Amino acid sequence: MNNIIEVSQLNKHYKDTHAVKDVNFEVKQGEIFGFLGPNGAGKSTTINMICTMLAPSSGSIDINGFNVTKQKNKVRESIGIIFQENTLDEKLTAGENLMLHCKFYKVPKEKREARIQEVLEIVDLVDNKSKKVETFSGGMKRRLEIARGLLHYPKVLFLDEPTVGLDPQTRAHIWEYILRLKRKEGITMFLTTHYLDEAEISDRIAIMDHGEIITINSPAQLKQSLGGDIIELSTKDNDQALQEINENISEADVTIQDDTIQMKVANSDDFISDFIKQLDVPITRLNIRKPTLNDVFLAFTGRTIQHEEN
Amino acid sequence: MEGIIGIWQRDVKKFFRDRARLFGSFTMPILFLLIFGGGMSGTMENLIGGGMEGETDFQYVQFVFPGIVAMTLLMTSVFSSLSIIEDKDFGYMKEILVSPVSRVNIAIGKMLGASTVAFLQGIMMFLLIPFLGISYDITSLLQVLPFMFLLACALSSVGLLIASFLKSTQGFQLIVQLLVMPMVFLSGALFPVSNMPSWMDIIVKINPVTYGVDVMKKVMIDVESLTPAVREAMGLNLSIFGRSITVFEEVLFMLGFTTILVLLATLSFRRSNA
Repeated sequence: MNNIIEVSQLNKHYKDTHAVKDVNFEVKQGEIFGFLGPNGAGKSTTINMICTMLAPSSGSIDINGFNVTKQKNKVRESIGIIFQENTLDEKLTAGENLMLHCKFYKVPKEKREARIQEVLEIVDLVDNKSKKVETFSGGMKRRLEIARGLLHYPKVLFLDEPTVGLDPQTRAHIWEYILRLKRKEGITMFLTTHYLDEAEISDRIAIMDHGEIITINSPAQLKQSLGGDIIELSTKDNDQALQEINENISEADVTIQDDTIQMKVANSDDFISDFIKQLDVPITRLNIRKPTLNDVFLAFTGRTIQHEEN
Repeated sequence: MEGIIGIWQRDVKKFFRDRARLFGSFTMPILFLLIFGGGMSGTMENLIGGGMEGETDFQYVQFVFPGIVAMTLLMTSVFSSLSIIEDKDFGYMKEILVSPVSRVNIAIGKMLGASTVAFLQGIMMFLLIPFLGISYDITSLLQVLPFMFLLACALSSVGLLIASFLKSTQGFQLIVQLLVMPMVFLSGALFPVSNMPSWMDIIVKINPVTYGVDVMKKVMIDVESLTPAVREAMGLNLSIFGRSITVFEEVLFMLGFTTILVLLATLSFRRSNA
Protein backbone atom coordinates (compact mmCIF):
# COMPACT_ATOMS: atom_id res chain seq x y z
CA MET A 1 0.00 0.00 0.00
CA ASN A 2 1.11 3.56 -0.71
CA ASN A 3 1.82 6.07 1.99
CA ILE A 4 -0.63 8.93 1.86
CA ILE A 5 1.09 10.85 4.67
CA GLU A 6 4.82 10.83 5.24
CA VAL A 7 6.29 12.69 8.17
CA SER A 8 10.03 12.75 8.57
CA GLN A 9 12.30 14.35 11.14
CA LEU A 10 9.56 16.75 12.15
CA ASN A 11 10.47 19.30 14.82
CA LYS A 12 8.72 22.24 16.38
CA HIS A 13 10.47 24.63 18.74
CA TYR A 14 8.75 27.34 20.67
CA LYS A 15 10.65 29.98 22.62
CA ASP A 16 11.47 27.75 25.55
CA THR A 17 9.94 24.40 24.67
CA HIS A 18 10.74 21.69 22.18
CA ALA A 19 7.16 20.64 21.49
CA VAL A 20 7.79 18.07 18.77
CA LYS A 21 11.04 16.11 18.63
CA ASP A 22 12.26 14.29 15.51
CA VAL A 23 8.92 12.72 14.75
CA ASN A 24 8.76 10.14 11.93
CA PHE A 25 5.77 8.14 10.76
CA GLU A 26 3.74 7.17 7.72
CA VAL A 27 0.03 6.73 7.21
CA LYS A 28 -1.00 4.22 4.58
CA GLN A 29 -3.67 4.86 2.01
CA GLY A 30 -7.11 3.72 3.19
CA GLU A 31 -6.25 3.00 6.80
CA ILE A 32 -7.66 4.46 9.97
CA PHE A 33 -4.72 5.88 11.85
CA GLY A 34 -5.24 6.57 15.54
CA PHE A 35 -3.12 9.29 17.05
CA LEU A 36 -3.13 9.22 20.84
CA GLY A 37 -1.32 10.95 23.62
CA PRO A 38 -1.87 12.69 26.94
CA ASN A 39 -2.63 16.41 26.97
CA GLY A 40 0.43 18.47 26.24
CA ALA A 41 2.16 15.60 24.45
CA GLY A 42 2.59 17.61 21.25
CA LYS A 43 -0.33 15.98 19.50
CA SER A 44 -2.17 19.14 18.47
CA THR A 45 1.05 20.82 17.42
CA THR A 46 1.83 17.86 15.16
CA ILE A 47 -1.64 17.80 13.64
CA ASN A 48 -1.61 21.55 13.06
CA MET A 49 1.65 21.19 11.17
CA ILE A 50 0.23 18.35 9.08
CA CYS A 51 -2.86 20.43 8.27
CA THR A 52 -0.81 23.46 7.06
CA MET A 53 -1.98 25.51 10.03
CA LEU A 54 1.44 25.80 11.62
CA ALA A 55 4.91 25.97 10.07
CA PRO A 56 7.36 23.25 11.20
CA SER A 57 10.71 24.36 12.64
CA SER A 58 12.39 21.61 10.63
CA GLY A 59 11.62 18.35 8.91
CA SER A 60 9.18 17.56 6.13
CA ILE A 61 5.59 16.42 5.71
CA ASP A 62 4.13 15.08 2.47
CA ILE A 63 0.45 14.45 1.97
CA ASN A 64 -0.85 12.85 -1.20
CA GLY A 65 2.57 13.53 -2.73
CA PHE A 66 2.47 17.26 -1.96
CA ASN A 67 4.82 19.05 0.39
CA VAL A 68 3.05 20.76 3.26
CA THR A 69 5.28 23.82 3.35
CA LYS A 70 5.84 24.28 -0.38
CA GLN A 71 2.49 23.22 -1.83
CA LYS A 72 0.08 24.40 0.86
CA ASN A 73 -2.92 24.79 -1.44
CA LYS A 74 -2.50 21.34 -3.00
CA VAL A 75 -2.32 19.86 0.47
CA ARG A 76 -5.36 21.84 1.60
CA GLU A 77 -7.33 20.49 -1.35
CA SER A 78 -6.31 16.93 -0.43
CA ILE A 79 -7.49 16.99 3.16
CA GLY A 80 -10.76 17.40 5.03
CA ILE A 81 -10.75 18.40 8.66
CA ILE A 82 -13.40 17.82 11.29
CA PHE A 83 -12.35 20.09 14.12
CA GLN A 84 -12.90 19.40 17.76
CA GLU A 85 -14.94 22.59 18.11
CA ASN A 86 -17.85 23.71 16.01
CA THR A 87 -16.77 25.58 12.87
CA LEU A 88 -20.14 25.84 11.14
CA ASP A 89 -21.82 29.15 10.48
CA GLU A 90 -24.90 28.75 12.65
CA LYS A 91 -26.74 31.67 11.09
CA LEU A 92 -26.74 29.93 7.72
CA THR A 93 -28.65 26.83 6.70
CA ALA A 94 -27.02 23.42 6.33
CA GLY A 95 -27.22 23.71 2.55
CA GLU A 96 -25.64 27.17 2.57
CA ASN A 97 -22.78 25.96 4.75
CA LEU A 98 -22.12 23.15 2.31
CA MET A 99 -22.39 25.40 -0.74
CA LEU A 100 -19.82 27.80 0.72
CA HIS A 101 -17.47 24.90 1.27
CA CYS A 102 -17.89 23.90 -2.39
CA LYS A 103 -16.88 27.42 -3.40
CA PHE A 104 -13.85 27.48 -1.13
CA TYR A 105 -12.67 24.15 -2.50
CA LYS A 106 -13.51 24.86 -6.14
CA VAL A 107 -15.91 21.94 -6.55
CA PRO A 108 -17.08 22.23 -10.20
CA LYS A 109 -20.31 24.24 -10.40
CA GLU A 110 -22.39 21.58 -12.14
CA LYS A 111 -21.48 18.94 -9.55
CA ARG A 112 -22.25 20.98 -6.43
CA GLU A 113 -25.92 20.18 -5.93
CA ALA A 114 -25.37 16.46 -6.49
CA ARG A 115 -22.45 16.36 -4.07
CA ILE A 116 -24.35 18.22 -1.38
CA GLN A 117 -27.20 15.74 -1.76
CA GLU A 118 -24.75 12.85 -1.62
CA VAL A 119 -22.98 13.88 1.59
CA LEU A 120 -26.26 14.79 3.28
CA GLU A 121 -27.48 11.28 2.53
CA ILE A 122 -24.37 9.76 4.08
CA VAL A 123 -25.06 11.51 7.39
CA ASP A 124 -28.89 11.31 7.18
CA LEU A 125 -29.50 15.03 7.10
CA VAL A 126 -31.25 15.40 3.74
CA ASP A 127 -34.48 16.61 5.34
CA ASN A 128 -32.65 19.31 7.28
CA LYS A 129 -30.92 20.89 4.32
CA SER A 130 -32.75 24.21 4.46
CA LYS A 131 -32.85 24.55 8.22
CA LYS A 132 -30.56 26.95 10.01
CA VAL A 133 -27.67 25.25 11.79
CA GLU A 134 -28.47 27.03 15.07
CA THR A 135 -31.59 24.84 15.35
CA PHE A 136 -29.52 21.63 15.15
CA SER A 137 -28.62 19.36 18.06
CA GLY A 138 -24.97 18.70 18.93
CA GLY A 139 -25.01 15.38 17.12
CA MET A 140 -26.57 16.86 13.99
CA LYS A 141 -23.95 19.60 13.88
CA ARG A 142 -21.21 17.01 14.14
CA ARG A 143 -22.73 15.00 11.31
CA LEU A 144 -23.05 18.11 9.19
CA GLU A 145 -19.38 18.88 9.79
CA ILE A 146 -18.46 15.38 8.73
CA ALA A 147 -20.58 15.82 5.61
CA ARG A 148 -18.88 19.11 4.89
CA GLY A 149 -15.45 17.58 5.33
CA LEU A 150 -16.31 15.07 2.61
CA LEU A 151 -17.67 17.49 0.01
CA HIS A 152 -14.44 17.98 -1.91
CA TYR A 153 -13.57 14.25 -1.86
CA PRO A 154 -10.50 14.59 0.33
CA LYS A 155 -7.84 11.90 0.28
CA VAL A 156 -7.40 12.13 4.03
CA LEU A 157 -10.02 13.02 6.59
CA PHE A 158 -8.74 14.40 9.90
CA LEU A 159 -11.07 13.72 12.80
CA ASP A 160 -10.02 15.64 15.88
CA GLU A 161 -12.01 14.27 18.83
CA PRO A 162 -15.08 13.75 16.62
CA THR A 163 -17.34 12.60 19.44
CA VAL A 164 -16.26 14.85 22.27
CA GLY A 165 -19.15 16.28 24.27
CA LEU A 166 -21.73 13.97 22.72
CA ASP A 167 -23.95 11.49 24.54
CA PRO A 168 -23.09 7.77 24.19
CA GLN A 169 -25.91 7.05 21.76
CA THR A 170 -24.92 9.87 19.43
CA ARG A 171 -21.30 8.80 19.73
CA ALA A 172 -22.21 5.33 18.55
CA HIS A 173 -24.09 6.84 15.61
CA ILE A 174 -21.19 9.04 14.59
CA TRP A 175 -18.91 6.01 14.53
CA GLU A 176 -21.42 4.16 12.41
CA TYR A 177 -21.23 6.97 9.85
CA ILE A 178 -17.46 7.05 9.98
CA LEU A 179 -17.15 3.31 9.45
CA ARG A 180 -19.71 3.41 6.65
CA LEU A 181 -17.52 6.02 5.00
CA LYS A 182 -14.42 3.94 5.28
CA ARG A 183 -16.16 0.94 3.74
CA LYS A 184 -17.78 2.90 0.92
CA GLU A 185 -15.20 5.49 0.01
CA GLY A 186 -11.96 4.02 1.25
CA ILE A 187 -10.91 7.40 2.63
CA THR A 188 -7.83 7.47 4.82
CA MET A 189 -8.69 8.68 8.30
CA PHE A 190 -6.45 10.34 10.81
CA LEU A 191 -8.13 10.15 14.18
CA THR A 192 -7.50 11.58 17.61
CA THR A 193 -9.68 10.74 20.56
CA HIS A 194 -9.69 10.64 24.31
CA TYR A 195 -12.05 7.69 24.35
CA LEU A 196 -9.68 4.75 24.03
CA ASP A 197 -12.44 2.25 23.35
CA GLU A 198 -13.19 4.30 20.24
CA ALA A 199 -9.58 4.09 19.12
CA GLU A 200 -10.07 0.32 18.77
CA ILE A 201 -11.40 0.81 15.25
CA SER A 202 -7.99 2.07 14.13
CA ASP A 203 -5.87 -0.13 11.88
CA ARG A 204 -2.81 1.28 13.56
CA ILE A 205 -2.26 3.48 16.58
CA ALA A 206 0.56 5.88 17.32
CA ILE A 207 1.13 6.99 20.89
CA MET A 208 2.85 10.29 21.43
CA ASP A 209 4.30 11.60 24.67
CA HIS A 210 6.74 14.39 25.55
CA GLY A 211 6.93 15.39 21.89
CA GLU A 212 7.99 11.96 20.68
CA ILE A 213 6.26 9.01 19.07
CA ILE A 214 6.70 6.19 21.58
CA THR A 215 5.12 3.40 19.61
CA ILE A 216 3.16 2.65 16.45
CA ASN A 217 1.32 -0.65 16.04
CA SER A 218 -2.04 -2.26 15.53
CA PRO A 219 -4.33 -2.25 18.58
CA ALA A 220 -4.10 -6.06 18.81
CA GLN A 221 -0.33 -6.08 18.76
CA LEU A 222 -0.11 -3.23 21.22
CA LYS A 223 -2.23 -5.18 23.65
CA GLN A 224 -0.23 -8.32 23.04
CA SER A 225 3.01 -6.46 23.62
CA LEU A 226 1.95 -5.99 27.22
CA GLY A 227 2.38 -9.73 27.61
CA GLY A 228 -0.64 -11.91 28.09
CA ASP A 229 -3.23 -11.25 30.72
CA ILE A 230 -3.90 -8.86 33.53
CA ILE A 231 -4.83 -10.09 36.99
CA GLU A 232 -6.37 -7.59 39.36
CA LEU A 233 -6.91 -8.46 43.00
CA SER A 234 -7.71 -6.92 46.33
CA THR A 235 -6.78 -8.56 49.62
CA LYS A 236 -7.36 -8.08 53.34
CA ASP A 237 -3.85 -6.64 53.59
CA ASN A 238 -2.41 -5.36 50.35
CA ASP A 239 1.03 -4.49 51.76
CA GLN A 240 1.46 -7.96 53.14
CA ALA A 241 0.28 -9.49 49.86
CA LEU A 242 2.62 -7.32 47.84
CA GLN A 243 5.55 -8.44 49.94
CA GLU A 244 4.65 -12.09 49.52
CA ILE A 245 4.27 -11.71 45.78
CA ASN A 246 7.62 -10.00 45.44
CA GLU A 247 9.33 -12.73 47.50
CA ASN A 248 7.74 -15.78 45.87
CA ILE A 249 6.68 -14.96 42.37
CA SER A 250 9.35 -13.56 40.14
CA GLU A 251 7.69 -13.76 36.73
CA ALA A 252 4.92 -11.24 37.47
CA ASP A 253 5.07 -7.53 36.70
CA VAL A 254 3.30 -5.98 39.68
CA THR A 255 1.85 -2.52 40.23
CA ILE A 256 -0.58 -1.17 42.79
CA GLN A 257 -3.28 1.38 42.14
CA ASP A 258 -6.02 2.50 44.55
CA ASP A 259 -6.36 -0.67 46.64
CA THR A 260 -5.97 -2.91 43.62
CA ILE A 261 -2.91 -4.98 42.93
CA GLN A 262 -2.35 -5.44 39.25
CA MET A 263 -0.17 -8.18 37.76
CA LYS A 264 0.73 -8.78 34.15
CA VAL A 265 1.41 -12.41 33.38
CA ALA A 266 2.09 -14.33 30.17
CA ASN A 267 -0.61 -16.93 30.66
CA SER A 268 -3.13 -16.61 33.45
CA ASP A 269 -4.48 -20.20 33.13
CA ASP A 270 -1.21 -21.78 34.24
CA PHE A 271 -0.36 -19.04 36.67
CA ILE A 272 -3.49 -18.51 38.69
CA SER A 273 -3.87 -21.88 40.45
CA ASP A 274 -0.30 -21.88 41.73
CA PHE A 275 -0.55 -18.26 42.70
CA ILE A 276 -3.60 -18.65 44.88
CA LYS A 277 -1.97 -21.53 46.77
CA GLN A 278 1.16 -19.46 47.41
CA LEU A 279 -0.61 -16.43 48.79
CA ASP A 280 -1.39 -16.50 52.53
CA VAL A 281 -3.33 -13.23 52.73
CA PRO A 282 -7.04 -13.82 52.06
CA ILE A 283 -8.17 -12.50 48.68
CA THR A 284 -11.33 -10.34 48.72
CA ARG A 285 -11.67 -9.76 44.97
CA LEU A 286 -10.10 -11.33 41.91
CA ASN A 287 -10.41 -10.39 38.27
CA ILE A 288 -8.62 -11.78 35.23
CA ARG A 289 -8.88 -9.95 31.94
CA LYS A 290 -7.22 -9.29 28.63
CA PRO A 291 -5.37 -5.96 28.38
CA THR A 292 -7.30 -2.99 26.92
CA LEU A 293 -5.95 0.06 25.16
CA ASN A 294 -6.18 1.83 28.50
CA ASP A 295 -3.57 -0.60 29.85
CA VAL A 296 -1.46 -0.02 26.77
CA PHE A 297 -1.71 3.71 27.21
CA LEU A 298 -0.85 3.49 30.88
CA ALA A 299 2.11 1.22 30.21
CA PHE A 300 3.59 3.50 27.54
CA THR A 301 2.94 6.92 29.04
CA GLY A 302 2.74 6.14 32.74
CA ARG A 303 -0.54 8.03 32.84
CA THR A 304 -4.18 7.33 32.15
CA ILE A 305 -5.66 9.37 29.35
CA GLN A 306 -7.52 12.36 30.71
CA HIS A 307 -11.06 13.04 29.75
CA GLU A 308 -10.83 16.71 29.13
CA GLU A 309 -13.60 18.22 27.17
CA ASN A 310 -11.53 21.08 25.86
CA MET B 1 -12.06 34.27 -7.35
CA GLU B 2 -14.90 32.00 -6.23
CA GLY B 3 -13.44 32.19 -2.76
CA ILE B 4 -13.81 35.98 -2.75
CA ILE B 5 -17.41 35.72 -3.93
CA GLY B 6 -18.24 33.08 -1.33
CA ILE B 7 -16.83 35.07 1.56
CA TRP B 8 -18.42 38.28 0.30
CA GLN B 9 -21.85 36.72 -0.26
CA ARG B 10 -21.86 35.21 3.19
CA ASP B 11 -21.37 38.57 4.92
CA VAL B 12 -23.93 40.38 2.77
CA LYS B 13 -26.48 37.60 3.22
CA LYS B 14 -26.03 37.67 6.97
CA PHE B 15 -26.44 41.44 7.01
CA PHE B 16 -29.88 41.19 5.44
CA ARG B 17 -30.93 38.46 7.86
CA ASP B 18 -29.93 40.48 10.90
CA ARG B 19 -32.77 43.00 11.04
CA ALA B 20 -31.77 44.42 14.41
CA ARG B 21 -28.36 45.36 13.10
CA LEU B 22 -29.86 46.71 9.91
CA PHE B 23 -31.87 49.31 11.79
CA GLY B 24 -29.63 49.67 14.80
CA SER B 25 -26.77 51.05 12.81
CA PHE B 26 -28.96 53.91 11.60
CA THR B 27 -29.45 55.45 15.01
CA MET B 28 -26.04 57.13 15.29
CA PRO B 29 -26.08 58.91 11.92
CA ILE B 30 -29.70 59.98 12.40
CA LEU B 31 -28.80 61.35 15.79
CA PHE B 32 -25.97 63.32 14.22
CA LEU B 33 -28.27 64.58 11.50
CA LEU B 34 -30.74 65.75 14.13
CA ILE B 35 -28.08 67.51 16.17
CA PHE B 36 -25.95 68.97 13.42
CA GLY B 37 -28.47 69.24 10.61
CA GLY B 38 -31.38 70.42 12.73
CA GLY B 39 -30.46 71.79 16.11
CA MET B 40 -27.09 73.25 15.41
CA SER B 41 -27.45 74.31 11.82
CA GLY B 42 -28.19 77.96 12.73
CA THR B 43 -25.18 78.18 15.00
CA MET B 44 -22.96 76.49 12.46
CA GLU B 45 -24.15 78.78 9.68
CA ASN B 46 -23.26 81.82 11.78
CA LEU B 47 -19.99 80.27 12.84
CA ILE B 48 -18.82 79.15 9.44
CA GLY B 49 -20.56 81.59 7.15
CA GLY B 50 -20.53 84.45 9.68
CA GLY B 51 -17.73 86.36 8.00
CA MET B 52 -19.69 86.75 4.81
CA GLU B 53 -21.52 89.91 3.97
CA GLY B 54 -25.03 90.33 2.68
CA GLU B 55 -27.08 87.41 1.53
CA THR B 56 -25.53 84.20 2.73
CA ASP B 57 -26.60 81.32 0.59
CA PHE B 58 -24.53 79.07 2.78
CA GLN B 59 -26.68 76.16 3.93
CA TYR B 60 -25.14 74.09 6.64
CA VAL B 61 -27.43 71.10 6.03
CA GLN B 62 -26.23 71.00 2.46
CA PHE B 63 -22.69 71.00 3.75
CA VAL B 64 -23.15 68.40 6.43
CA PHE B 65 -25.30 65.81 4.65
CA PRO B 66 -22.48 64.28 2.54
CA GLY B 67 -20.42 64.30 5.72
CA ILE B 68 -23.05 62.36 7.65
CA VAL B 69 -23.31 59.84 4.80
CA ALA B 70 -19.53 59.45 4.94
CA MET B 71 -19.79 58.98 8.67
CA THR B 72 -22.35 56.23 8.14
CA LEU B 73 -19.94 54.59 5.75
CA LEU B 74 -17.14 54.85 8.29
CA MET B 75 -19.11 53.40 11.18
CA THR B 76 -20.68 50.55 9.24
CA SER B 77 -17.46 49.65 7.43
CA VAL B 78 -15.40 49.45 10.55
CA PHE B 79 -18.02 47.70 12.64
CA SER B 80 -18.75 45.20 9.89
CA SER B 81 -15.14 44.12 10.13
CA LEU B 82 -16.07 42.92 13.56
CA SER B 83 -17.40 39.85 11.73
CA ILE B 84 -13.78 38.73 11.32
CA ILE B 85 -13.37 38.54 15.07
CA GLU B 86 -16.75 36.84 15.42
CA ASP B 87 -15.59 34.30 12.84
CA LYS B 88 -12.52 33.68 14.96
CA ASP B 89 -14.66 33.36 18.09
CA PHE B 90 -17.20 31.00 16.58
CA GLY B 91 -14.57 28.94 14.79
CA TYR B 92 -15.66 29.67 11.23
CA MET B 93 -12.36 31.39 10.51
CA LYS B 94 -10.72 27.98 10.86
CA GLU B 95 -12.89 26.56 8.12
CA ILE B 96 -11.80 29.45 5.90
CA LEU B 97 -8.13 29.31 6.83
CA VAL B 98 -7.67 25.57 6.21
CA SER B 99 -9.33 25.87 2.81
CA PRO B 100 -7.29 26.40 -0.37
CA VAL B 101 -8.63 29.97 -0.74
CA SER B 102 -5.56 32.18 -1.00
CA ARG B 103 -4.95 34.49 1.91
CA VAL B 104 -5.19 37.63 -0.22
CA ASN B 105 -8.60 36.51 -1.48
CA ILE B 106 -9.76 35.98 2.09
CA ALA B 107 -8.74 39.55 2.91
CA ILE B 108 -10.37 40.95 -0.25
CA GLY B 109 -13.56 38.96 0.31
CA LYS B 110 -13.88 40.16 3.88
CA MET B 111 -13.10 43.75 2.88
CA LEU B 112 -15.69 43.71 0.08
CA GLY B 113 -18.30 42.18 2.39
CA ALA B 114 -17.92 45.00 4.92
CA SER B 115 -17.78 47.63 2.15
CA THR B 116 -20.95 46.38 0.52
CA VAL B 117 -22.85 46.42 3.79
CA ALA B 118 -21.62 49.96 4.52
CA PHE B 119 -22.38 51.08 0.98
CA LEU B 120 -25.97 49.83 1.17
CA GLN B 121 -26.44 51.55 4.48
CA GLY B 122 -24.99 54.75 3.05
CA ILE B 123 -27.49 54.62 0.20
CA MET B 124 -30.32 54.15 2.66
CA MET B 125 -29.35 57.50 4.19
CA PHE B 126 -30.56 59.06 0.94
CA LEU B 127 -34.08 58.24 2.09
CA LEU B 128 -33.74 61.07 4.64
CA ILE B 129 -33.09 63.76 2.03
CA PRO B 130 -36.76 64.82 1.64
CA PHE B 131 -37.04 65.44 5.38
CA LEU B 132 -34.05 67.76 5.53
CA GLY B 133 -35.32 70.47 3.28
CA ILE B 134 -32.56 70.01 0.76
CA SER B 135 -32.61 68.56 -2.71
CA TYR B 136 -30.15 66.91 -5.00
CA ASP B 137 -30.68 65.94 -8.58
CA ILE B 138 -30.76 62.24 -9.31
CA THR B 139 -27.68 62.32 -11.54
CA SER B 140 -25.46 63.72 -8.83
CA LEU B 141 -26.76 61.09 -6.40
CA LEU B 142 -25.99 58.38 -8.94
CA GLN B 143 -22.60 59.85 -9.71
CA VAL B 144 -21.59 59.84 -6.08
CA LEU B 145 -22.23 56.08 -5.68
CA PRO B 146 -18.90 54.78 -7.01
CA PHE B 147 -17.03 57.22 -4.77
CA MET B 148 -19.06 56.13 -1.79
CA PHE B 149 -18.18 52.52 -2.50
CA LEU B 150 -14.51 53.37 -2.84
CA LEU B 151 -14.55 55.23 0.47
CA ALA B 152 -16.30 52.24 2.06
CA CYS B 153 -13.50 49.99 0.73
CA ALA B 154 -10.80 52.22 2.18
CA LEU B 155 -12.54 52.30 5.57
CA SER B 156 -13.33 48.57 5.62
CA SER B 157 -9.68 47.85 5.03
CA VAL B 158 -8.90 49.80 8.23
CA GLY B 159 -11.30 47.56 10.15
CA LEU B 160 -9.98 44.48 8.36
CA LEU B 161 -6.40 45.19 9.33
CA ILE B 162 -7.24 45.85 12.98
CA ALA B 163 -9.47 42.76 13.19
CA SER B 164 -6.85 40.54 11.57
CA PHE B 165 -4.50 41.19 14.50
CA LEU B 166 -6.98 40.94 17.33
CA LYS B 167 -8.67 38.03 19.03
CA SER B 168 -11.21 39.71 21.28
CA THR B 169 -14.29 41.74 20.48
CA GLN B 170 -13.65 44.07 23.41
CA GLY B 171 -10.15 44.94 22.21
CA PHE B 172 -11.51 45.67 18.77
CA GLN B 173 -14.25 47.92 20.06
CA LEU B 174 -11.81 49.86 22.19
CA ILE B 175 -9.45 50.54 19.31
CA VAL B 176 -12.30 51.38 16.99
CA GLN B 177 -13.79 53.87 19.45
CA LEU B 178 -10.42 55.56 19.72
CA LEU B 179 -10.14 55.69 15.96
CA VAL B 180 -13.61 56.49 14.67
CA MET B 181 -14.28 59.81 16.41
CA PRO B 182 -11.01 61.50 15.39
CA MET B 183 -11.55 60.20 11.87
CA VAL B 184 -14.97 61.88 11.78
CA PHE B 185 -13.91 65.15 13.36
CA LEU B 186 -10.66 65.53 11.46
CA SER B 187 -12.12 64.95 8.03
CA GLY B 188 -14.23 67.96 7.21
CA ALA B 189 -17.38 65.87 7.50
CA LEU B 190 -19.04 68.04 10.14
CA PHE B 191 -17.13 71.32 9.88
CA PRO B 192 -14.43 72.68 7.58
CA VAL B 193 -10.89 71.73 8.44
CA SER B 194 -9.18 74.51 6.53
CA ASN B 195 -7.57 76.31 9.45
CA MET B 196 -6.09 73.54 11.58
CA PRO B 197 -2.79 73.62 13.47
CA SER B 198 -0.15 71.91 11.38
CA TRP B 199 0.07 68.66 13.40
CA MET B 200 -3.68 68.24 13.12
CA ASP B 201 -3.49 69.11 9.47
CA ILE B 202 -1.19 66.11 8.95
CA ILE B 203 -3.83 63.80 10.44
CA VAL B 204 -6.46 65.44 8.26
CA LYS B 205 -4.36 64.79 5.16
CA ILE B 206 -3.70 61.09 5.85
CA ASN B 207 -7.30 60.44 6.87
CA PRO B 208 -9.10 58.66 3.99
CA VAL B 209 -12.41 60.12 5.18
CA THR B 210 -11.12 63.59 4.27
CA TYR B 211 -10.77 62.65 0.62
CA GLY B 212 -13.99 60.66 0.53
CA VAL B 213 -15.99 63.51 2.02
CA ASP B 214 -14.32 66.02 -0.26
CA VAL B 215 -15.11 64.02 -3.41
CA MET B 216 -18.67 63.44 -2.26
CA LYS B 217 -19.20 67.16 -1.66
CA LYS B 218 -17.68 68.05 -5.00
CA VAL B 219 -20.07 65.67 -6.73
CA MET B 220 -23.20 66.34 -4.68
CA ILE B 221 -22.93 70.11 -4.35
CA ASP B 222 -22.91 72.20 -7.47
CA VAL B 223 -19.59 73.82 -6.68
CA GLU B 224 -19.52 76.12 -9.73
CA SER B 225 -22.66 77.94 -8.67
CA LEU B 226 -21.26 78.90 -5.28
CA THR B 227 -19.58 82.21 -4.61
CA PRO B 228 -15.87 81.92 -3.77
CA ALA B 229 -16.66 82.98 -0.21
CA VAL B 230 -19.14 80.16 0.29
CA ARG B 231 -16.78 77.73 -1.35
CA GLU B 232 -14.12 78.79 1.10
CA ALA B 233 -16.52 78.48 4.01
CA MET B 234 -17.43 74.95 2.98
CA GLY B 235 -13.78 73.96 2.96
CA LEU B 236 -13.98 72.93 -0.64
CA ASN B 237 -10.49 74.14 -1.44
CA LEU B 238 -8.67 71.14 -0.03
CA SER B 239 -5.02 71.48 -0.88
CA ILE B 240 -1.74 69.77 -0.19
CA PHE B 241 1.47 71.79 -0.19
CA GLY B 242 -0.50 74.80 -1.38
CA ARG B 243 -1.86 73.02 -4.47
CA SER B 244 -5.53 72.19 -4.87
CA ILE B 245 -6.10 68.45 -4.97
CA THR B 246 -8.14 66.94 -7.80
CA VAL B 247 -10.83 64.28 -7.69
CA PHE B 248 -8.57 61.97 -9.65
CA GLU B 249 -5.82 62.29 -7.05
CA GLU B 250 -8.27 61.69 -4.26
CA VAL B 251 -9.52 58.52 -5.92
CA LEU B 252 -5.94 57.40 -6.40
CA PHE B 253 -5.20 57.99 -2.73
CA MET B 254 -8.18 55.91 -1.61
CA LEU B 255 -7.27 53.09 -4.01
CA GLY B 256 -3.67 53.05 -2.80
CA PHE B 257 -4.73 53.24 0.82
CA THR B 258 -7.08 50.27 0.39
CA THR B 259 -4.49 48.18 -1.45
CA ILE B 260 -1.80 48.70 1.16
CA LEU B 261 -4.05 47.87 4.09
CA VAL B 262 -5.50 44.79 2.40
CA LEU B 263 -1.97 43.53 1.71
CA LEU B 264 -0.96 44.09 5.33
CA ALA B 265 -4.05 42.18 6.47
CA THR B 266 -3.09 39.37 4.07
CA LEU B 267 0.29 39.08 5.76
CA SER B 268 -1.43 38.92 9.09
CA PHE B 269 -3.75 36.12 7.87
CA ARG B 270 -0.74 34.24 6.54
CA ARG B 271 0.90 34.29 9.96
CA SER B 272 -2.16 33.36 11.95
CA ASN B 273 -3.14 29.84 12.83
CA ALA B 274 -6.62 30.86 13.88
